Amino acid sequence: MDTFSYLGQGFGVALSPYNLVTALCGTLIGTVVGLLPGLGPINGVALLIPIAFALGLPPESALILLAAVYLGCEYGGRISSILLNIPGEASTVMTTLDGYPMARQGLAGVALSLSAWSSFIGAFIATCGMVLFAPLLAKWAIAFGPAEYFVLMVFAIVALGGMAGDKPLKTFIAALIGLFLSAVGIDANSGVYRFTGDSIHLTDGIQFVVLVLGLFSISEILLLLEKTHHGHKAVEATGRMLFNLKEAASVFVVNIRCGLLGFFMGVLPGAGATLASAVAYMTEKRLAGASGTFGKGDKRGLAAPETAIGASCCGALVPMLTLGVPGSGTTAVMIGALSLYNITPGPLLFEQQPDIVWGLIASLFIANIMLVILNIPMVRLFTRILSVPNWALVPVIAIITAIGVYAVHATTFDLFLMIGIGIFGYILRKLDFPLSPLLLGFILGGLMEQNLRRALSISNGELEILWASPISLGVWAMVALMLTLPLLRIWRRRSAQRRALADV
Amino acid sequence: MILQRLFALTLLAACAALAVMAWPYQAAFSYEPVGPRAYPLLMLGLMAIALLYLAIRPTPIVRKDDEPELDRASLIKIGLCTGLLLVFAATFESLGFILSSTLIGIPMARLYGGRWLPSAVIVGLMSIALYLLFDRAMDVPLPLGLLDVLEN
Repeated sequence: MDTFSYLGQGFGVALSPYNLVTALCGTLIGTVVGLLPGLGPINGVALLIPIAFALGLPPESALILLAAVYLGCEYGGRISSILLNIPGEASTVMTTLDGYPMARQGLAGVALSLSAWSSFIGAFIATCGMVLFAPLLAKWAIAFGPAEYFVLMVFAIVALGGMAGDKPLKTFIAALIGLFLSAVGIDANSGVYRFTGDSIHLTDGIQFVVLVLGLFSISEILLLLEKTHHGHKAVEATGRMLFNLKEAASVFVVNIRCGLLGFFMGVLPGAGATLASAVAYMTEKRLAGASGTFGKGDKRGLAAPETAIGASCCGALVPMLTLGVPGSGTTAVMIGALSLYNITPGPLLFEQQPDIVWGLIASLFIANIMLVILNIPMVRLFTRILSVPNWALVPVIAIITAIGVYAVHATTFDLFLMIGIGIFGYILRKLDFPLSPLLLGFILGGLMEQNLRRALSISNGELEILWASPISLGVWAMVALMLTLPLLRIWRRRSAQRRALADV
Repeated sequence: MILQRLFALTLLAACAALAVMAWPYQAAFSYEPVGPRAYPLLMLGLMAIALLYLAIRPTPIVRKDDEPELDRASLIKIGLCTGLLLVFAATFESLGFILSSTLIGIPMARLYGGRWLPSAVIVGLMSIALYLLFDRAMDVPLPLGLLDVLEN
């Protein structure tokens, strides 16, 4: 029962007054950031990295802050989905389907608190899953050598494409761009300068924060520019703010089901909250059958995606902590933050720095509880933030983004680079390329190259080492599975079309 | 479609150029079988294959409902906004944080539909507040630039 004593130790770290205040600040900042159009968890976490560093927070507090912001953002995103019918990000699209109709029926407060509750249960289930599985996975992961790691990263990249569904090719291209960009800068093994164009500013490579803020903040600012004419009005949150016991009981089974589903989807690299919420919603809709009023304000339709999102967000931390392989854009950003502190996530983290790991896990519990409690008295305040007009918001976002970038190296070169990346990101978005694979590729790229070269050094250049062990063979099999998934989907769509034609 | 092809081909050309750039990357002396050249070339190669496929068979772009078609007016706005951001980056150190952010913040607020006076008040106040918050309270150093005089 080592796990429980470690968990106790983790609560000791997380419950220290300093870290409690950190978590509270994080959840508040996160909720506000998640609420604002144009800022999601990825920007929120990325903006705070340089600030947490500048504040001189110890690593465990910084990580707690970032995790709290992460959860807070997911949470804030739901407020705009329910009250405005505008999903803050892809994962909350499903929330709008039943959340907005509920708000229109005068149940805005109930919808908000019920979704908070659902997400709390989801996160709770996932955190329990994490407590149970993460140490096991970490123990198992020690058997991984460089070759196995390389294959695992190939799997993570391929899984992104396989899970993306509708546009595997563009997902691959985006990931490859990220993988390539990670090679810019001085090569650690040989000292060769790669793609720096003789600029001293690029010798360190492209700064992670610059890439993230360029891709997500700047491109979003440009996207918002197109939407200035569209006025939206928030539904007033009046009447009953809290759901009652009957309502909670009616969705409890849905909560449990979708929590488990969300956790497993979160653990899988590449699947993430978007897919988890979609699958959860569709499954519940099918299970409810004719008895459901899905799409017209069914409580189950609100609870299902929210539980799944809450669970998958915590689930995504499992591969990040145990293997050092991020499963989503936001966890990729958190790995970037950890590397600033010279902490390499991976199996050894559990042995060498249990304070950090278990403190983080415990603070997830605490941040979730804080979010539920905060929600009830503060919803009215949060809804007021929603009515801040774009013209006041966007310049402030631009300025804060610039501060975040400038804080890293204090050079204006980074600002120009960020704008360049932002324009590139905007073009990619307009052409329907997903951006988080690029980010994930960027984080995985460095690790992938190092592990590949290390593996081949061990074998003296023999490629066979890459499929020599049973573990790597197993992972290769999963890679093959993921590669066939999109093909299978296309084939099924084609045959369905053919059948439809034959029927006519 | 045509835009997508154009984009794929441009990126393809960039891949080729980068590959040429990467070709001479050789370690002066090396202890390992894989040099610094292999990984970037591998990535560029894979990317080139994918881009070639995209150029031949572009996938349809799914547009969300709230995303209007790009017209001339929005393109001009986007150009202006990019220009403002570049001015911001260029004047960040010379003018200092407060002045440069006010300078670009006000036209930017106008671009998003704000009126002159409220934009000026909000952006001006926000840049001073953010300076105090980050530079003074949180120890993130920001340049004062021209306002350096006030300091002494």
